Amino acid sequence: MKDKLTKEEVLHVAHLARIKVDEDEIEKYQVELQKLLNDVDKIKEVEGYDEERMIAPWSKDTTPREDEAKEMLNPKEVLKNAPKHSGNYIEVPIVISEEA
Amino acid sequence: MSNYIPTIGVEVHCELKTNTKIFSNSVNGYGQMANSLTNVIDLGYPGTLPTLNKEVINLAIKAALILNCKIRPKMHFDRKNYFYPDNPKNYQITQAETPIGYDGYVEIDIDGKKKKIEIEEMHIEEDTCKSTHRGTKTLLDFNRAGVPLIEIVTKPCMESGEEAKLYLEKLKELLFYSDVSDCKMEEGSMRADANVSIRKSISDPYGTKAEIKNIGSISNVKLSIEKEIERQAKLYDNGETFLPQTRRFDDKLNDTVLMRVKETGNDYRYFPEPDIPYVYITEKQIEEVRKTIPMLPDKRREKYQSLGISEVNAKKLVQNRALSDYLNELLDEKLDFKTASNLLLGDISGYLNKNEEEITNTHLTKEKFIELTNNISDGTLTSKNVKEILDTVMESDKNIKEIIKEKGIQNITDGSAITEMIKKIIAENPDSVADYKAGKDRAIKYLMGQVMKESKGALNPKMAMDILQEELNK
Repeated sequence: MKDKLTKEEVLHVAHLARIKVDEDEIEKYQVELQKLLNDVDKIKEVEGYDEERMIAPWSKDTTPREDEAKEMLNPKEVLKNAPKHSGNYIEVPIVISEEA
Repeated sequence: MSNYIPTIGVEVHCELKTNTKIFSNSVNGYGQMANSLTNVIDLGYPGTLPTLNKEVINLAIKAALILNCKIRPKMHFDRKNYFYPDNPKNYQITQAETPIGYDGYVEIDIDGKKKKIEIEEMHIEEDTCKSTHRGTKTLLDFNRAGVPLIEIVTKPCMESGEEAKLYLEKLKELLFYSDVSDCKMEEGSMRADANVSIRKSISDPYGTKAEIKNIGSISNVKLSIEKEIERQAKLYDNGETFLPQTRRFDDKLNDTVLMRVKETGNDYRYFPEPDIPYVYITEKQIEEVRKTIPMLPDKRREKYQSLGISEVNAKKLVQNRALSDYLNELLDEKLDFKTASNLLLGDISGYLNKNEEEITNTHLTKEKFIELTNNISDGTLTSKNVKEILDTVMESDKNIKEIIKEKGIQNITDGSAITEMIKKIIAENPDSVADYKAGKDRAIKYLMGQVMKESKGALNPKMAMDILQEELNK
């Protein structure tokens, strides 16, 4: 088992989560994130891990929902929780030119 | 263009025609006030639980069947993780591992030959909210969030923009006719992406791939693929290379342009969606769905032609689903289908277009349509008469017999009366008869004109022409 992630791996994960990481925090995360990964890896030691993956805690069929409309939210309620809105639209800063 | 072999694959997103969204009970609708068709599930609120809509599975099974796909008996959903305002829960629920359908095909006609466009897989997923970019802000409408989609992915098996266009036309026709989707590209209920690469020879590995995203019309799919092939060929010709990339088609520039992307490949960190249990599909369910598939376009065209309708008319009828459905209810009747198709596509279509009316909203019952067709076939009504009475036919409850009586239409349908009249015309025009016998085609048209004039247009021209020819050839 590895004892730490590379600096690049930490920065990549931070980017995917859209989190800013200060230079002095990177080393801490290199160790902490690797520890998390190592802990999760222990699941593989469970008997039957390589058998078909368990998606849900039961494998029985469950009847899906009928295609019938029910009450919806009033747009005013929806907009209440948005920091900004423009007419009935929720407004956010433009994201189209964001670096990927 | 230089000599390269293009390789093209197409991905299509299609919104399913359900009443409600895929994982919530809010309405699946278009053109409503922004953010008026939502609930906490669509908005991605924490602690909410998605529940799968039964009809989504049924429509996806139907799509899989008409696209000749194999259907997976047990499947689950996966989370595709990314941060973007169009999806505030930060993942899209999709099927990455167990697409409902796989290994299908759609058959197209290209250059007079049939070609199977192979479908790699077809999966179910949720649509994201619609974002509109305005200056420095982005506006979000969650009415679209959670609308059920199927994504249909072909193998890289096409070689031209034309093939991609034909495939999309066929796909659209199939999904529309089977009521899986309304397939309106202009409203975004059908959207297409194209993957394009080129190589020098079939023995070379595939070239670098460019993906053209969200192309807004079928004709632009063809055009953007052709432009992209040209662009790549030019680069290779100049000895340049390029990285795999995502592009979009710009209408105004008439070319593809580079796009920035959200995430790619592994960065989506797919994992199974724990909130939705396994979905099982039984043979019985598949058979139930199969029964709901109506007669599909290829079969309709074939059937119409077997009933004596011309190829052109058969195609036109299938392009107008309301008329095709109307005619399909009459397929077991004894009817002159050639006349029926001319009537539907001619005067009746004219009436419907002029009045912006649907055929099912008029007073043209099946019985009345049959009566009208028969009256035209046997010469009781001329095409001129049809034009005169059509408004009454479409707008009143009277049957054709009553309308004919009311309008005082009295055509000569008695063969011997027509023969008498024609004999008279022949006797009066010996010069034209001589011209006809000398092989001048124009002469018969002149004689026919005289016949119509004599009858004041009150006879079936085809019937008169037959008798005229018969008399002249005696």
